[in-house]
Parts: sequence; structure tokens; C-alpha cells
Amino acid sequence: MTGLAPSPRRDWLPWIVGALTLCVLVAFLIYPILKTVLGAFVRQGDEPSFANWTLYNFERFFVAATYKSAVRNSIVVSVLSTVVATLLALPAAYAVARIRMPFRNFILALSVIPLVAPPFIGAYSWIQLLGRSGIVTQYAADWFGITLPPIYGLFGIVLALSLSFFPYVFLIVQGALSAGDPYIEESAQVMGASRWRILRTVTLPLVTPAIAAAAMIVFIKALGNFGVPAILGGEMYVLPTLIYFQVHGFFNLNGASAIALVNVLITLLAIFILARINRRRRFVTVTGVTRKAAQLDSLGARIFANAYVWTLLALSLIPQIMVVWSSFAERWAGTTFPTEYGLGNYRQVFGDLFQPIQNSLVLAGIATVMTVIFGTLLAYTSVRRRFVGRWALDLTVMLPFVLPGVVTGVAFLVTFNDGWLVLTGTGTILVLAYFVRRIAYVFRSVSASISQVDPKMEEASTICGATWARTMRKVTVPLVAPGILAGAVIVFATLISEMSVTILLYSASWKTIAVAIYERLASNEMPAAAAVGSVTIALTLVLVFAASRLIGRSMADMFR
Amino acid sequence: MAHQLAIESLTKNFQTAEGPVTAVDNVSFGIGGDDFFTMLGPSGCGKTTTLRMIAGLESITSGRVVFDGRDFTRVSAFQRGIGMVFQSYALFPHMTVFENAAYGLRVRQLGENEIKTRVQRSLDKLGLGGLAQRHPSDLSGGQQQRVSIARALVYEPTMLLLDEPLANLDAKLRVQMREEIRRIQKDLGIMTIYVTHDQEEAMSVSDRIGVFDRGRLRQFGAPSEVYADPRSLFVADFIGKANFLKVGIQAADRNSAKVAVRGYAPFAVARSVTLDSEESVEIPAGSDGLLLVRPEHLEIAAGVEGGLPCRVRRIQVLGSFIRYIVECDAATREVTVDARRAAPGVSEGSNANLGFAAEDALLFARKRP
Ligand SMILES: Nc1ncnc2c1ncn2[C@@H]1O[C@H](COP(=O)(O)OP(=O)(O)OP(=O)(O)O)[C@@H](O)[C@H]1O
Ligand SMILES: [Mg+2]
Repeated sequence: MTGLAPSPRRDWLPWIVGALTLCVLVAFLIYPILKTVLGAFVRQGDEPSFANWTLYNFERFFVAATYKSAVRNSIVVSVLSTVVATLLALPAAYAVARIRMPFRNFILALSVIPLVAPPFIGAYSWIQLLGRSGIVTQYAADWFGITLPPIYGLFGIVLALSLSFFPYVFLIVQGALSAGDPYIEESAQVMGASRWRILRTVTLPLVTPAIAAAAMIVFIKALGNFGVPAILGGEMYVLPTLIYFQVHGFFNLNGASAIALVNVLITLLAIFILARINRRRRFVTVTGVTRKAAQLDSLGARIFANAYVWTLLALSLIPQIMVVWSSFAERWAGTTFPTEYGLGNYRQVFGDLFQPIQNSLVLAGIATVMTVIFGTLLAYTSVRRRFVGRWALDLTVMLPFVLPGVVTGVAFLVTFNDGWLVLTGTGTILVLAYFVRRIAYVFRSVSASISQVDPKMEEASTICGATWARTMRKVTVPLVAPGILAGAVIVFATLISEMSVTILLYSASWKTIAVAIYERLASNEMPAAAAVGSVTIALTLVLVFAASRLIGRSMADMFR
Repeated sequence: MAHQLAIESLTKNFQTAEGPVTAVDNVSFGIGGDDFFTMLGPSGCGKTTTLRMIAGLESITSGRVVFDGRDFTRVSAFQRGIGMVFQSYALFPHMTVFENAAYGLRVRQLGENEIKTRVQRSLDKLGLGGLAQRHPSDLSGGQQQRVSIARALVYEPTMLLLDEPLANLDAKLRVQMREEIRRIQKDLGIMTIYVTHDQEEAMSVSDRIGVFDRGRLRQFGAPSEVYADPRSLFVADFIGKANFLKVGIQAADRNSAKVAVRGYAPFAVARSVTLDSEESVEIPAGSDGLLLVRPEHLEIAAGVEGGLPCRVRRIQVLGSFIRYIVECDAATREVTVDARRAAPGVSEGSNANLGFAAEDALLFARKRP
């Protein structure tokens, strides 16, 4: 024996990490979900037990008109938003990937803005534009005598949601189109296929999985969105607003649980359909080919592509621009346009709105640190170690990804309102809810980077006698740091204006930006809300931009 | 009806970040009938670009592609009736082997029965009969390669273009497949343009080869002709192994030149090439030209007397012949000698001498200023 041989040691650390994370997830995710499911089957005030078992909470879905229409509205809104967003995004994705266009990267970066700007702020802008006394409404009536459809209700919600979420389809499909092997289409071309035939028989089928996955994201986001229907819904309820109504109006957590369960069922149904669509498609199109796809550069195509893409971007950015614009309005009452501009609203940001901003930053910051630590360790364990039940781990982490925020909110309310751990009204409950809702982002981003790191590099380090912790610190972490950073920034940026879960869990001492804006909007103080909104949008953009520079990835890539 | 393809002064400029790049520079050649034509050259010399311009996948900066007297420049790729095989095969991953092969026929709107028989015939011809219902991802590299050939041939194109179709296969399969491609090509009597940077592959299957260098077609001709009678140092060096001896030119006229290796008696060389100004600079100072002698034309014998003295570095027994790598002061670099049988008394490290017949030598003379 030479003294240099490292002593054999058991590889315990990954297990401890895995177990620890699992405990956290069980306590703050699985357990609340189970409790919610159980709670849905007993009447308000009853103990969850077999003796009290009832379908009472679900009966209302068959008798109460509000419930029936809420289910129908939710499905209609999400399906329509998904279809509209997808149809809007596909031509744009094709144009950017396949037609020669100037400012391609700029277009991709701009398309990220609707994703980082909270959709509910934008929703209010549509009221300013298309509402009964909105700017566009008035001009349409004065100049053309056209009466626009009412913004409150289906039209407004679908408009705001699809323009907020189309970038998911745009970015994902654009990426798939750019990454495919260009020779495949060229070979169809030399075989005599026309451009249209190639699009129909080759291009579209090859990106169908990407389209389906992107559409799924839009569907889930639309189904779980609270802010937009809360502002634009008018008389129209969808499931998330119905839950809010149950909780804030009656504090009927059992009723809310039942609605949440129905909401989740719809999501699962959609995922099941997606899986069916994708079942027969098990092909990889990404190859080592470095040649970029040939780009169309006929004048007609270029004019059309530019006109289309820029119009779409303009439409989707209008709400954000409106927000910034109205944040400078000092006086805006009863007139089409503001009568006085100034910085008064921003003074509020440093006055009574400062506390919510600070709260948001603190809560989002702590939650981000937690997601980074646990998400990274978990991703590592899941990618690098083979163990039984790995799929369960992956599934658990990804679960909140498909759970609407309001559902997580209900689960937390149900679980931590009484019993062994009372957290309602604290900042902790928000941090924990944020944590379970966003850990999937870090997990996914880091898993992707780790899969790209050759395990041989780690083995080399281990062979040299380094401990697992040392290998992690010296080899793995530096290599996957960009993935971690990307995940962290997305988490933080989307958390500072988080709405769906916050609206159920906040308390007077822990109001966040989203709550503050919502309250101002509800009391018609748009300019003040707009000032906070502008600050939030700016802050988020700066963060995402800085991170993309730091890790050398485009902003658009960070959202794919 | 024998088809004719004429490439006339074909040029392609690419606009890149570093400015315009001339990928193909004034290339002209003509082929016809069932010619198997191979474009050969080092990486980046413009072979693929030329092929893609013929296929109509790349726009032409200047020049013409003329097929059977018809200018192809304005004919779009899908009207040219071309079959093409890509290096990465470019099979449709979402279609079965059958559907892949049927694609060109469906485009041509043939009846379902006709499609079935023709696809089946084409697949059988390439030994793919049993794989029709598989997806490309379930095939080996060689099988995928065959599918892509079947797919290109099934609609009986007037011209078959292959861009390094064998690059992803192992050495043994490459030899087997290249023979198979040639057999099918001759069988169907289909004009074929083939791209490779493997000169042995090019020599073994082609009727005609074109040697490309930095966008230019340096030489066009039958493989034997290009090998025996290269018109430039580049071609001499690129095709087969080449030994260059530094020589002085004492007298030259139209038909022959009197040359001498320094320190030896002059002799007459019948065949000579005057280099262009670009290659003239490659002739070392102090010499007037370089004499090309192929390895099989050199003879090696023991002892320093009787020929050019040299020192043996390495002897490789390569089966059908023996290769000597020797150092010789008169040569520009190490000299390769391929001998049918071992030269007695010659061993690694020993001194030896080299001889050759003057009629086997080819003189590359510096261009006169
Ligand atoms: N789309 C393009 N844009 C700019 N330059 C290009 C483009 N395509 C090819 N080139 C350049 O043109 C030259 C010739 O390229 P080409 O692909 O024809 O080479 P090749 O002979 O096929 O090489 P290889 O054997 O490596 O395939 C190269 O210098 C290449 O960098
Ligand atoms: Mg090439």
C-alpha cells in the first residue's frame, strides 16, 4: 500500500442531500396537497375523516350557476388564449427563424418583456385603451362610429392573456426551428417539394412537439392566472377568481379546496392529451450540423415578416408602454388623456409604497436563495445518481409547475392555518410557497447544464482523491454556474411581482408589490399602480439583462 | 438520350462578417451521359458550394449551369429533377423508411399502387426490403445511408448529387458502399456528381475527377490522366504520393528540357509544365524547377554509388509492395519509394541510392518573369 491511495469512502452525501430536500418537499408540498384533497371531501368546519366524507363541495359544480359557468369560463378562456397565442406566435417564430430579418436578437429580447412584466398590470392598460371610456374606444366611436366589444369578460381576458403568453410559443418554436437540421428541408426541396408542401409535411411535423409543449405552458399559465380575470373579468368568474372569492368572502377553505381540485383535474387532463399527441413522436432533430437554415430573402416575404413581427411585438408591448406612460400622469380624471404630467407618482414609490417593494424584495430574495440551494443539489442528485424512485423525485419537483398558484395558495392556507405548524399571516408562509412553486425552475435549468457536463470530469476529480463535496465545489458548480444563475434570476424576477399565490397568503404586515398594485387598481389609482409597475418592470428587465450578459446567454434563451 | 451538363464560369461570393469570401472562383467543366464525376479537394475548397449551386440550393453569383442546353440558373431546385444525398443523410425522422423513400413520388403525385411498387423495388435494390416500416432512428449508419440513396433514386432523377455520402461510415463499409453506389449508378445510367476529400475514393470510383483548390478547379480529367499528368504542384501533391527533386534547367525548348540535379550529369526530360506565378514561388531558391517522380517509378539500391545518394529512415512492408522512406539532399522533403520487392542489402539506417527513368519524370518549371 502506498500512502497516497485515497481511502475508500462511502458516497453518503448525495443521499443526505436527497433525503433532506425530499423532507422539505414532503412537508411543504405533498402534505399540503394531500390535506387539500382530503379537505375537499368534508364540509366546512368538519374534521377530515371518513365519517365526515361528503361530496357536498362538489355538488355545487352541478347546481350553482356561478360554479358551472366558472368551470366553463376557465376552460374556454384557457383554450382560447392558448389557441390565439399559438396562432399569433407561429408565423412570428417562422419569420424570425427562416426569413432574413434585421435586429433578430433585438426582437427576441423584446419578446421577453411580456413574460417578465406581470400580466395583471398590463390587463389594466387594456381597460384604459379599450374600456368604456378608453382611448381607442373613444376614437373608434368618434372617427369610424365603431362600437368595440366590451373589454370586461371573455374578449378582454383572452386578449390580455394571449398577448402576455404568446412569447412562450414564439421563443420555444423559434428555437426548435433554428436548431433543426437544415439539410432535411433541403432534401425535400431537391426532391421537388414546393415550399408550402415542405412546411406542411416536414417543417411543421418536426416542430409539433415543441409547439405542443409551448402551448401546454400557455394553457397551464392561463388556467392558473388570477390577476387578469380578477381585473378584466367583470361579472365573469373563472376558477382562480372563484377560489379567491371563497377564501376572502367566506373563508371557506373546504369549498376552495374542491375548486382547486377541479382546476388541477383540468390541467392533468390537458397534460394527458398532450402526452397522447406526442406519444408517436420520438425523434430528435437536433444534430451536430453547424450550417444555419437557409433564410428566405425574397422582398415580399421580408416585408410581410417584418410587418407581422413588429405589429405583434407592438401589440404585446402596448400594455407595458401604457403602464410607463400613465405612471407620469399627475391628473387624469374624466378626460381621454392626462391633463398634467409629473413625477408625483414616483414620490409615492418612496413613500407608502416603499414597504411593499421592500417586502417583495426580501421575500423573493430568501425564496430564491432556498430554491437555488435545494434545486441545485436536487438536480445534481437526480441527474448523476441512479437510485430507485428517481422518477418520484423528478415528478415531485415538477409538480408545482403544473399546479396553479391559487391552488398552492389554498393548499398552504388549508395546511398552515392550524395544527402542528401555524404560519398564516407570516412572511414565512409566502417564502415557503414561493419556494415550492419555483424550485422547478432552478431544478430544470441546472439539470440541463449538469447533463451537459461530462461525468468523466467529475470522475477525474474523484480519482484524484477529492471528496464529493470538493468535487462539487471545484468542478461541478463552476461548470454549471451559468445554469444556476439563469434559474435564480428567472425565479427572483418572476417572484417580485408574484400574484396568484400571494393574493391568498399575504397579510397586512406582508403586503407585496403585486398586492399593492392590485389594491391601487381596485381603487382606481392607476397612476400610482403604474409607477410601482414601471419600477418593477424596469427592475426585472435590468436583472434579466445583467444576468444574460454575465452568463453570455441571450435573454430569450433564459426563458426557453 | 444522353444528358449533358455544362458548368460555365461558375462563381460564388459569400458576404461574411470579415468581408466577401469567394467560395467558388470561375469554375467550368462539362460532363455527360452516365459519367461518374467526382469533385475532390481539401476542406473548404468549395466543393459543397459548387454542388449546391448545381442543385439550386445556393444562389449563383455569376456564371451558368446549363443542362441539356437549358439554363438552370432561373430553374428552382424543385424543378430540376435532381436526386441528392447529403452527408448527414437528412432523412425525415418522423417518417418510416417507406415514407421517406416515397416522398419524391408523392410530390410527383403518382398513384398509390405505382408508389408501392417503385418504392419496394428501390428498397430491394439497396437491400432494405425488410426495413420499410422502421423509423430512421432505428437504423444503423450504413442502412440510413442506403435509405437516403434509395430516396434519391426512386423517382429516377436525371442527375444524382452526393455530398460526402460515406463520411460517417467506417473504413470497410466505405469501400463496400462506394462500389455499390457506382454499380447502381451504372445500372441506371444516371449522371452522378460526387464530392469527397478522400483521393483514394475519388480515384477508385470515378470516370472523371475535378481537383479543387481554394475555390478554383485546378484540373479536370480521368483519374489516370490527373495522376500521371498533373498540371500543377498542388494537383501533383494532392493526388497520390509525390516526390519532388530540386533541379537546375540548362536548356529548354518547346519539346524537351535539359535538367540537372546539382552535382550530376544533365539529362533530357520530355514532359514539362510551366507553373503559374503563384506556385512558382514554391520552387526553392537556387533551383529552376522541381522534378516530379512518383514512388513507383523510383528504384532503390544498396550503396551510395550509381544514383542519387540517400539514407533509409524507414521500411514498411505493406503487403503487395514495400515502401521505403528515405532522406535525400536533392529532394524537397522525405522521399517515398514503392518497390515491388525488397532491395537486397538495404536496411533501416543504411545508405542507398535512387534511380529513375527520365521518361517517368515530369518537370515543373518556374514561370519566367
Ligand atoms: N453560407 C456561407 N457563408 C459564408 N461562407 C461560406 C458559406 N458556405 C460556405 N462558405 C465558405 O466557402 C468556402 C467553401 O465552402 P464549402 O462548404 O463549399 O467547402 P467544401 O469544399 O465542401 O469543404 P468540406 O470538405 O470541409 O466540406 C469555405 O471557406 C466556407 O467557409
Ligand atoms: Mg463540404
